[in-house]
Amino acid sequence: MPALDLNEIQATVLRHRPEPYFGTHIMLRIDDARAGRLFLRRLAPHVASAANWWTAGDAWIAVAISYPGLVALGVPEDSLRSFPEAFRMGMAARAEKLCDIGLNDPNNWDLPFGKGHVHILLSAFSDTEEKWRRAITTARSQVEGHGGVSIVLIQDFGAQPGSLNPFGYKDGIGQPNIEDSGAEPLPGQGQAINAGEFVLGYPANAGVPLPMPQPEVLGRNGTFVGLRKYQSRVGAFNRFLHENTKNDGERELLAAKLVGRWRSGAPLTLAPTRDDPALGQDPQRNNDFNYTGDPDGKQVPLGCHMRRMNPRDSRMPLLTDVNSHRIIRRSTTYGAPYDPNALSEADDEIERGLYFLFISAKAMDTLEFLQRDWINDGNFMGLSNERDPLLGLHQEGDTFTIPKDPVRRRIHGVQTFNVLRGGEYMFMPSLSALKWLADLKE
Amino acid sequence: MTIDTVQKTPSEQTSEFERKVQKLREIYADAGPISKTALENVIRGLNAGGPEAASEAPKESAGRIGARQGRVSELTVIAPLKPGGAKRMRAFFETLHGNVGNEAVDRVGTVHDMRWVFLDNDTKLLFASTYDGDWDPYIDDFATKIPDILDLQFGELEGWPGVRNPAVKDFIVKYQVQSYFWYVASPNLTAVETKRLERVGKALDEFLDKVGE
Repeated sequence: MPALDLNEIQATVLRHRPEPYFGTHIMLRIDDARAGRLFLRRLAPHVASAANWWTAGDAWIAVAISYPGLVALGVPEDSLRSFPEAFRMGMAARAEKLCDIGLNDPNNWDLPFGKGHVHILLSAFSDTEEKWRRAITTARSQVEGHGGVSIVLIQDFGAQPGSLNPFGYKDGIGQPNIEDSGAEPLPGQGQAINAGEFVLGYPANAGVPLPMPQPEVLGRNGTFVGLRKYQSRVGAFNRFLHENTKNDGERELLAAKLVGRWRSGAPLTLAPTRDDPALGQDPQRNNDFNYTGDPDGKQVPLGCHMRRMNPRDSRMPLLTDVNSHRIIRRSTTYGAPYDPNALSEADDEIERGLYFLFISAKAMDTLEFLQRDWINDGNFMGLSNERDPLLGLHQEGDTFTIPKDPVRRRIHGVQTFNVLRGGEYMFMPSLSALKWLADLKE
Repeated sequence: MTIDTVQKTPSEQTSEFERKVQKLREIYADAGPISKTALENVIRGLNAGGPEAASEAPKESAGRIGARQGRVSELTVIAPLKPGGAKRMRAFFETLHGNVGNEAVDRVGTVHDMRWVFLDNDTKLLFASTYDGDWDPYIDDFATKIPDILDLQFGELEGWPGVRNPAVKDFIVKYQVQSYFWYVASPNLTAVETKRLERVGKALDEFLDKVGE
């Protein structure tokens, strides 16, 4: 029996994104506190818990609330003050801490992000188109025709050929192994991490629970979400691959070196020279490796996306507790499907990209750490100031280093392939907290 | 990190600089003869060198307080010691720091230097360090990887909450003092980079030795 209160925790915290997947993010603004609470009361019975998350097959709805949303709902002042400072400030105000500057500056974000207009995020996930349509009808019917709550953005996601992300990769592999969450971990998920890192109210890595929003009914079994919207510049990415390779085979290898996995999902550790699509598809095998035999990155480059986001047993020059910086990722691809022939600058602006939900009991701290130290720097891996080739904010002349014999290959001309176009910090309450919010008095 | 850059025309810079120098002379009117002579000598040297001496260095900050230059930050803390704390710390440093303590700091990888100074009859500690980036994002890593070393290095401070306690960040900030002026020789070199360049330089010398034989 899992020690976590799965009936209280929202499904999205533990349930993996299905494959294939269909879904919609709906962003709402609360115009009237009473109407907002009535909306939550209507919605609450439709929000899925994580009970039996490992077998559940139905579509589900998740709900998360921003700080301006909590204010708009009329949450009492002393309770508002108990939320972490970064959450209260919001993602746009934390731009410097997140290295969201230049191209990624909140001034360049799409509406409605960064302006305090996103109060509630509803996300519906499903493995079939039909169930998705039903879930979205349910969600919308709690909003429309009631007044006091307005839709500020509807964004469909998923339904991508082969469930590939905008650059043509299988994604979402390799989530943290959460202690006591009830299911057998997948091979290679690594040591179980204390549940309190991901859900409020349980012991975290340091042995004690993280500080929790008050009252306890509001904080316990809740967690935080960093929502980030990226526009994927597929033309720039394809041009980069073409300019640095001579044929399709080299291109696919370079694409694999940037990520650490072939586009099929097969990791370079287990398929170092040739893609193995069957391996990529197999969750029992596609994450089952470490870096003991590859300390210098000759298979999986030290600076590639996968090794940065989860260094596993890499030898690192900085003292690092790799378990302290893990985060649950629910990546959702939107817009036009991956196009290997997109090469023009116009292709960069075709609407397609990723909405990420980064979920953790300290999501703000972890995101800010990842953005500053593991994405927009390379010192932690001994790579000077080289940045993550996929998520980094790049400057002219930025490089990517591929270790090999007899000498490393250093590729110039890495660009910002994913441009940040929006983001919000949200709180994902437990099901009891949702009812507590709905029942707030004037 | 914030950077203030002031852009002015060269002639504006010159006249503004001259005004500042005049103001400096007025403030030094109360100074002794050694300071006064030295000041005049330095000003004379500047005039010969031209107005570029007036350019202002960018000011940056590391996290909540503390200065930062390029990739390097400084931390200065002055805090009260527990009764008998200095004695215990001296014994710890003499017996253990040379091996396990230094080894732990080496593993941290971001530390250029650290110094502990006992002040005011062993009632206060001054701790000063130069390190890379920000320290606070790594506090969780310290707390899980080398908690005992940190609790021995700082546990004799009055009110030290323990490195595993989330309140430790606020404790450090409470006693942190901003350095007034700080010089860094290589602001773009992290401790990791410095060690790497040492290795590269050594390897290059070995290579050149062989080529030159």
